[in-house]
Amino acid sequence: MSASEELAFSPTSVKAAYASGVHRLAVALTVSVFPLIWVGGLVTTYDAGMAVPDWPGTYGENMFAYQAWLFGPFDLMVEHGHRLLGSLSGLLCVGLVVAAYLRDERSWFRKWSVFVLAAVIAQGILGGVRVLLDERTAAMIHGCTGPLFFAIATATAVMSSRWWFERNRKHLSDHENESGAVGQYATGRFIALTASVLAVTSYCQLIVGAQLRHTTGAVSPNEFKGFVHLHLGLAALVFLVALVLTVSVVAASRTPKQVRRVSLLLAIMVLCQIGLGIGTWLVNYALPWAELNATLAAYTIAAKGYWESMVVTAHQATGSLIISLATVTSMRAWRSRASLGN
Amino acid sequence: MSFRSNLRIDPSNPLLTIWLAVILLISGLFGCDSVGDRFESNRIFAKRWELTESIDLREPLADSEVVLTEFFGSPDEPKWPKFLNVGEGKLVSLQNLQRAAGAFSSGEQGEHKGLFREHCVVCHGVNGNGRGPSSALLTPYPRDFRLGKIKFKSTPIGHKPTKDDLKQILHRGIAGTSMPSFSTLDPEDIEALVEYVIYLSIRGELERKLIRDAAIELDLEGGERLYDLDSKEKYPEEFADVRGRIKGWAVDLQESWFEAEDKIVDVVGPPEGFPLVGNGDDPEAIAVSVANGKKLFQGTTASCAFCHGSEAKGDGQTHNYDEWTREWTVMAGLNPKDKKSLAPMFELGALKPTNIFPRNLTMGVFHGGSSPEELYTRIVNGIEGTGMPAAPLRPANSQGLTNEEVWDLVNYLRSFLPAEEQSLVSQETKSDSCSEEDASK
Ligand code: HEC
Ligand code: HEC
Repeated sequence: MSASEELAFSPTSVKAAYASGVHRLAVALTVSVFPLIWVGGLVTTYDAGMAVPDWPGTYGENMFAYQAWLFGPFDLMVEHGHRLLGSLSGLLCVGLVVAAYLRDERSWFRKWSVFVLAAVIAQGILGGVRVLLDERTAAMIHGCTGPLFFAIATATAVMSSRWWFERNRKHLSDHENESGAVGQYATGRFIALTASVLAVTSYCQLIVGAQLRHTTGAVSPNEFKGFVHLHLGLAALVFLVALVLTVSVVAASRTPKQVRRVSLLLAIMVLCQIGLGIGTWLVNYALPWAELNATLAAYTIAAKGYWESMVVTAHQATGSLIISLATVTSMRAWRSRASLGN
Repeated sequence: MSFRSNLRIDPSNPLLTIWLAVILLISGLFGCDSVGDRFESNRIFAKRWELTESIDLREPLADSEVVLTEFFGSPDEPKWPKFLNVGEGKLVSLQNLQRAAGAFSSGEQGEHKGLFREHCVVCHGVNGNGRGPSSALLTPYPRDFRLGKIKFKSTPIGHKPTKDDLKQILHRGIAGTSMPSFSTLDPEDIEALVEYVIYLSIRGELERKLIRDAAIELDLEGGERLYDLDSKEKYPEEFADVRGRIKGWAVDLQESWFEAEDKIVDVVGPPEGFPLVGNGDDPEAIAVSVANGKKLFQGTTASCAFCHGSEAKGDGQTHNYDEWTREWTVMAGLNPKDKKSLAPMFELGALKPTNIFPRNLTMGVFHGGSSPEELYTRIVNGIEGTGMPAAPLRPANSQGLTNEEVWDLVNYLRSFLPAEEQSLVSQETKSDSCSEEDASK
């Protein structure tokens, strides 16, 4: 007998299964990863990746004891801050594993929490490798797996949420009383699939974006151009998929609000992201038709300028956010479909 | 078993598999990024001579790489030949080159190394050929430093810019183009970058000189070599001759940079009481001067309108090519419009030729600065590499413009500036903070 069936047939165990402590930790983890991604983005924007040349120590000191970062140059603050924030996420993962083993009855979830911990450790080591090897390639991989971890943390929060458990209960009650409420709140398979496709395409898009961001002198103009065109093509694809998702969610009145709301937020983020993308090109490379408009003609890019850095970093962070929102949407969509028990 | 049964409804699992596949796929895309061991040769310039002289320059090109590496080292380990550091102060210090060269990194004090790769390579390329990764998508294209030509400077066409000119360019950036302002960098970083630009420029010009010499002077078919290390022991005297000649060229090139300081064109101020846009003079007197400037602009003496159009909108003659493009098209006997004949150049990485457009001056955006002195300099010096000539001046040219007429033109140009930028009072405080102002010297 499977765990879910067990849960399904004993209402008391359903209540016990939702562990608010586990969920809170998972949410805290997710919330801690977003600033981590921002600061990580700033590290790249300001080329501060090598501001601390050793790892795991900081200039020979224990990283938690190292104090100079608060008063040192901006580079150092950003890089060291990124490391400290990373440790915070790591600690939360340890807490998650402990809480899962104490409170969560689902054995797969316990295993999953161990996987999450392993993932955060791997990401930390990758960051260390990036520093020790001083390799842009390693930096790029570390930058691409960061958002992946963000998605994993988000998924953990979703899978430990009360709603996730309640879908099971609803399933139970729908079946038990056959009230006809079965069709009331459910997500169509198409929506679930579209949301999953969106998560994957936006992740591919992020990887191509990382290629552009970590361009070195070894890249030829044609390769760069190829990546730019790919990035534009994928942007169009992401936009289309997001459009299809939004339209289908709005059209399908049975979609539960937990799916509906995130997918609408997702649509807004995709629109913002397109604007930020154009902005990112503008503040890095300017537009080729400057004389169309007096403001464009007068604009001089400020290298490492405040607004320039914010736009670029926001573009990168929003990319991660989109992947995570798409993950939430697709997981909830699958869940609210699956719990119909068809 | 319980784990399995959940697989069905746990979408994170199939998603994860796809994600892992994507990562594996993409990690294949990450290439290696070593660019530091050698500078790429100027094969396009060699091709030009191969086409016009019907010769094969592969061997001389390899030879030139040997001398250049001996003199200037590599992108990771730059050198500055000792024979250049004699006499008059230093043009370039090895220390600054090392600061600007190599892979970039930063230290506990916030000092950055590898500045050129950090800030410039995406556009200007590792060897300063103006063909960095992003270059093909930019308009105008980034500068190729290897011709030693700079647009916005205080010296006349045909002369090098001063170091201060270069600093000013890095400080100000070039509005409306992708050339950023680096005003947030430390002055020492700017100094190091400027010296590195000079280094790439001298290296690039010497390379072009070597290639040209091989194409025109050497008896290649008779087996003559541009530079042959093997002959060092067999024929030491001849080898010393060859080496000495090349050293002489490098010395001359360095000399041309030193000379720039003496070539700065003085700004001859307007006569007492001459009204200037922005300094609070009688508006009517200014209007008269601006109108006069416009007439001169459209007239045949200055013939500005020929390129810039009679209303200065940049819509006059627009089919020219700049000298960085002409160098490998027109000069190689190729028509920049004929894509087919350019194919061998494209194969070597040349970027699609684009026309140089005379500026739409009514936008009121001046890339070389908008102070009266800077605009005066632009007019009397012209703009190197763009085809914009120096305006003819009296008394040197009896048909030329008088000093007052030049200032009328300056007033006309400055009348396009947005009101808040016209004021000369704030202009002065602005240029004070830049401290590198030399146009007003
Ligand atoms: C985002 C692209 C980009 C970056 C980064 C960049 N440049 Fe440029 N640069 C350009 C372009 C484009 C031009 C040509 C502008 C024009 O012709 O008006 C240019 C022109 C120049 C010129 C010639 C100006 C003149 O008056 O002719 C110099 C010198 C120069 N850059 C130096 C640098 C240095 C040094 C760095 C790094 C600190 C740098 N650039 C970074 C794009 C860039
Ligand atoms: C042969 C064509 C030609 C003629 C003649 C010409 N210009 Fe230009 N001018 C150009 C081009 C091309 C540019 C753009 C340079 C660049 O690429 O930035 C330019 C740019 C300028 C600029 C912008 C400088 C800056 O700092 O950005 C000014 C001002 C200007 N011209 C004034 C004049 C005046 C005044 C005359 C007449 C005395 C004149 N030009 C004659 C071709 C010409």
